[in-house]
Amino acid sequence: MNRALYVAKTGLEAQQFRLAAISNNIANANTYAYKAGRAEFDDLMYQNVRQPGAQASQNESSTLPSGLQLGTGVKAIGVQKIHTQGNLVVTDNQLDLAIEGKGFFQALDQNGDLMYTRDGSFQVNQDGDVVTSSGYLLEPNINIPQNSTDISITRDGAVFVTEPGNTAQTQVGQIELSTFMNPAGLQAMGHNFYTETTASGTANVINPQTAEAGSLTQGALEASNVNTVEELIGMIEAQRTYEMNSKAISAADGMMQYLNNNI
Amino acid sequence: MDRMLYVAMSGAKEVMLSQANNTNNLANANTDGFKQDFNIFRAQHVQGPGMASRTYSMDERPATDFSAGAIKVTGNNMDIVTKEDGYIGVQTPAGDEAFVRSASMQILDDGSLVDVKGNPVLNEGGAPINIPPSKTVTIGDDGTISVVLADSPSNQLVVLDQVRLVKPNIKELEKGLDGFIRLKDGADPVEQSAVQVVSGALESSNVNTAEALVNMIELSRKYEMQIKMMSTAKAHAQKSDSMLSLR
Repeated sequence: MNRALYVAKTGLEAQQFRLAAISNNIANANTYAYKAGRAEFDDLMYQNVRQPGAQASQNESSTLPSGLQLGTGVKAIGVQKIHTQGNLVVTDNQLDLAIEGKGFFQALDQNGDLMYTRDGSFQVNQDGDVVTSSGYLLEPNINIPQNSTDISITRDGAVFVTEPGNTAQTQVGQIELSTFMNPAGLQAMGHNFYTETTASGTANVINPQTAEAGSLTQGALEASNVNTVEELIGMIEAQRTYEMNSKAISAADGMMQYLNNNI
Repeated sequence: MDRMLYVAMSGAKEVMLSQANNTNNLANANTDGFKQDFNIFRAQHVQGPGMASRTYSMDERPATDFSAGAIKVTGNNMDIVTKEDGYIGVQTPAGDEAFVRSASMQILDDGSLVDVKGNPVLNEGGAPINIPPSKTVTIGDDGTISVVLADSPSNQLVVLDQVRLVKPNIKELEKGLDGFIRLKDGADPVEQSAVQVVSGALESSNVNTAEALVNMIELSRKYEMQIKMMSTAKAHAQKSDSMLSLR
């Protein structure tokens, strides 16, 4: 059967994959702390149809100078998360925190395992514990006393509260951040969370403003780092390449059809 | 039987192979760093008794088009692309050196600097690059990698290494079966040379899609012509059969 059909099929699949990655980015263009993903492609291996240097005839001096290697198409090798800093959006909410640096907040999932996020829209649950917007406990746990009137969080992660009848602020906790050698290797879990993998390396737990963790800004959130213009251009590119590959399929189909009708 | 049928059949078969090659270029029109393959037909004369009228065609991939693809700015400082005729050295899974024009790099958990396919990026000495924990990694204009180490203040840049940058003669480059671009067997080894590097950009595929689409039409028509010749041969044979029939 005509191998152009199968090669064009890989092209269609790759563009469909790319469009899925782009749609996901655009859908999350307004998700706090979302990191854009870029679809990456690789050409598939080549098939040796005619070996260069093979004998063209019985005459020993006539060898094929270049041979024929046919490519077998393209494949998607994955979606690479681009961990660049998103813009800061000032919200003036006392428990909104933005990280300016490479760190991640740590939260505990229902099984007590660590998850990592850069989404700093924290809230307080019924016990006064600081939780993420999806209700997971911040690690290390910070308890805000019920009667506190004001919360202030310093650039280096110390959490202070003001209690009535006490002019001095009392420290109730210290926020810690995790950094990773290869943040692109983190596994995205959804809900703005990541978990560590062998590719990301183990978490290095440090205080904000030390090493590469970055500092905290209270009353601000990190916006999504999706560049919508870039995504829309990528969408045009994916769609047109998809069309060209489907043209190639109909051309290959036309060849076969012509053969069947005329012989 | 008339040899015309066989000549036309081989023509059709080779056009089909050529169409597959052209489709491969189209399928990779969006693969970053892909270099399109050339595709030619060669006349293969058959020697022997009788009239020298049989010349089969043969499809070949003589070379790869090493011209530059469009540069697209990504803003990610770990994406690098070389200017002019420079290439970056990377290590293939087979352990030898291959050349790429641009690399979207990342740092693995053990500190090794790899491209998006996981192949280590080489330094000027041809060894894989290792990056210690650091706040920022910057790739300079000449491929110099400078870092701010994790435990040092932000203004203390350390020059760590230099990416292997070469200017090979493109006539001595070939694309292997695994899609990597390497030096041909027997070519002189290439030295580190002054090549400009732009960080924050990637090179897109150099496939000329308009050309590939026109090629596709041309090959389709060429194929139809071969089929036409085959049906002409069939008509000839039918005619002689009916002329020579006993009834």
